[in-house]
Amino acid sequence: MFKFIFKRILTAVPVLLAVVTVTFFLIRSAPGGPFDSEKTVSPEILENLNIHYRLNDPLYLQYLDYLKNLLKGDFGPSFKYPGRTVNEMIFSGLPITFELGLYALLTAMAFGIISGVFAALKPNTLQDYVPMSFAMAGICMPSFLLGPLLVLIFGIWLNWLPVSGWGDAQGDKILPTITLGASYAAYIARLTRTGMIEIMSMDFIRMARAKGLSEPIIVIRHALKGGILPVVSFLGPATAGLLAGSFVIETIFQIPGLGRFYVQAAFNRDYTMIMGATIFFSALIIIFNLISDVITVWLNPKLKHEIFKGA
Amino acid sequence: MGSTKKRTWPESENLEIVKGVSLWQDSWIRLKKNRLAVFGFYVIAFMALIAIITPWIAPYSYEVQDLDLGASPPSSSHFLGTDVLGRDLLTRIMYGSRISLMVGFLATTVSLVIGVLWGTVAGYLGGRTDSIMMRLVDIFYALPFIIFVILLMVVFGQNLFLLFAAIGAVEWLTMARIVRGQVLTIKKQAFIDAAITMGISNTRIITRHLVPNVLGPIIVYASLTVPSVMLLESFLSFLGLGVQPPMSSWGLLISHGVETMEEYPWLLVFPGIFFSITLFSLNFLGDGLRDAFDPRASKD
Repeated sequence: MFKFIFKRILTAVPVLLAVVTVTFFLIRSAPGGPFDSEKTVSPEILENLNIHYRLNDPLYLQYLDYLKNLLKGDFGPSFKYPGRTVNEMIFSGLPITFELGLYALLTAMAFGIISGVFAALKPNTLQDYVPMSFAMAGICMPSFLLGPLLVLIFGIWLNWLPVSGWGDAQGDKILPTITLGASYAAYIARLTRTGMIEIMSMDFIRMARAKGLSEPIIVIRHALKGGILPVVSFLGPATAGLLAGSFVIETIFQIPGLGRFYVQAAFNRDYTMIMGATIFFSALIIIFNLISDVITVWLNPKLKHEIFKGA
Repeated sequence: MGSTKKRTWPESENLEIVKGVSLWQDSWIRLKKNRLAVFGFYVIAFMALIAIITPWIAPYSYEVQDLDLGASPPSSSHFLGTDVLGRDLLTRIMYGSRISLMVGFLATTVSLVIGVLWGTVAGYLGGRTDSIMMRLVDIFYALPFIIFVILLMVVFGQNLFLLFAAIGAVEWLTMARIVRGQVLTIKKQAFIDAAITMGISNTRIITRHLVPNVLGPIIVYASLTVPSVMLLESFLSFLGLGVQPPMSSWGLLISHGVETMEEYPWLLVFPGIFFSITLFSLNFLGDGLRDAFDPRASKD
């Protein structure tokens, strides 16, 4: 097991290096410098700025410099907000994005697994069709449509919940959580259903029934562990989606999280911020993929070889 | 899904009545039985038709403004109302469908071409080439693709064709993996050995013998890529990083609708309905195709 984790970490290193390299050179090949939008900067000041941020060095030197700082965990200064570092911005937004993602994921898992199991117990009946239709709706309804609709209905027309903010007013975390979690609940429900249908037709379940165990015990104690395997391996990629989802959700609900910073940085062409955030996101996603792989293997050791090939 | 009909094997005298059913015909029959998929197909066909002939049938011009009218609710002269600048919403939705559907299908085609080529070459050549090519795919996979697209849009500016290329360039990864997996199993089969023994060139083996045999999974996955690409485009447009005004896509219309949803909710609701119905139909069609082409899924 440790060997597996170790090997898996080793494969992550070149991937991360590639991400850093691609991001760095992509950003640097962008037309226009970071200070172009400054209204009237005299050539002297521009020169000083370039010297200060070492933009006159040859590109490979800048790249090595950036790598060296990265190893120290330093993403450098923000180009657009003088005096603030990318680290500060990332870590001020991260807890909020993390909290939002966690709530959304927990809600999604609770709803998704329960409705998936119910659907799987009586496939092709009403008990299957109703939750699965909702799941289909959840997948087809993009978050940037669902969010505003929820705001319109519950925030403006019914006036039950606050329309924006995070932790400022009571209940303002509910709508963002639902919006972000909805499509994941849908995916998880579908995955659970497929997994459970497969498991429920296996011999050991028939055996359990023959022994006279009650249906709830069969489902919860015997079938669920294998049935939710697809869900566990989905959780790694899901974090990537949750991060992307946070871009939209945080913009809609005006939540000062990492996603909103990132979108703003993209608009402002704050190159160091984009670069830092991209690398940070990638590292985060690689780590979560690693964790979900490890859990998957732990639940089903047979998969060890297979994941390795795909890793 | 469908009940398997009992086939009675005819006596030798009426053998000619029974026609052989090829794999493709079999899939086609299964697809036609799936009502949701057929419904999805018709909706998509209808939308595509409308999108193509929009310039001739649109009730108004999509950029002509009527500032005196402003935002008006649905009425007999403007079926779906008008936006803040007095532009007819139905017309804008129709023009928006052109962009959204075009992005969906073109970007899928881009991803299809790259992914299929990459996957077949890697799977067929195997060995070192395979591991290098697939390692590259893994690296791209690890890049959070949405961020990658945003990065591309930031670096190269918001250009519609770049948008196709960027989305297509990110979406080919899964296709490459699926195709490679299929090719790996197929290339072990005797007819490929036979082709190699006969001295047929690699290019010809790939195009004539491998690709046609993995067409099923390719079609299925491509049909599921279209809605996800459309979602991605509208997502970018919503954030203001995709299609730029005065052009409009559904994502952009929804984004504008959100800004004024308190006063003029129809500007959010109608584009949303069109977009959701299209995504629904595409997904139903994709699921139907998957059931039709994957015998295992359809026989339980």
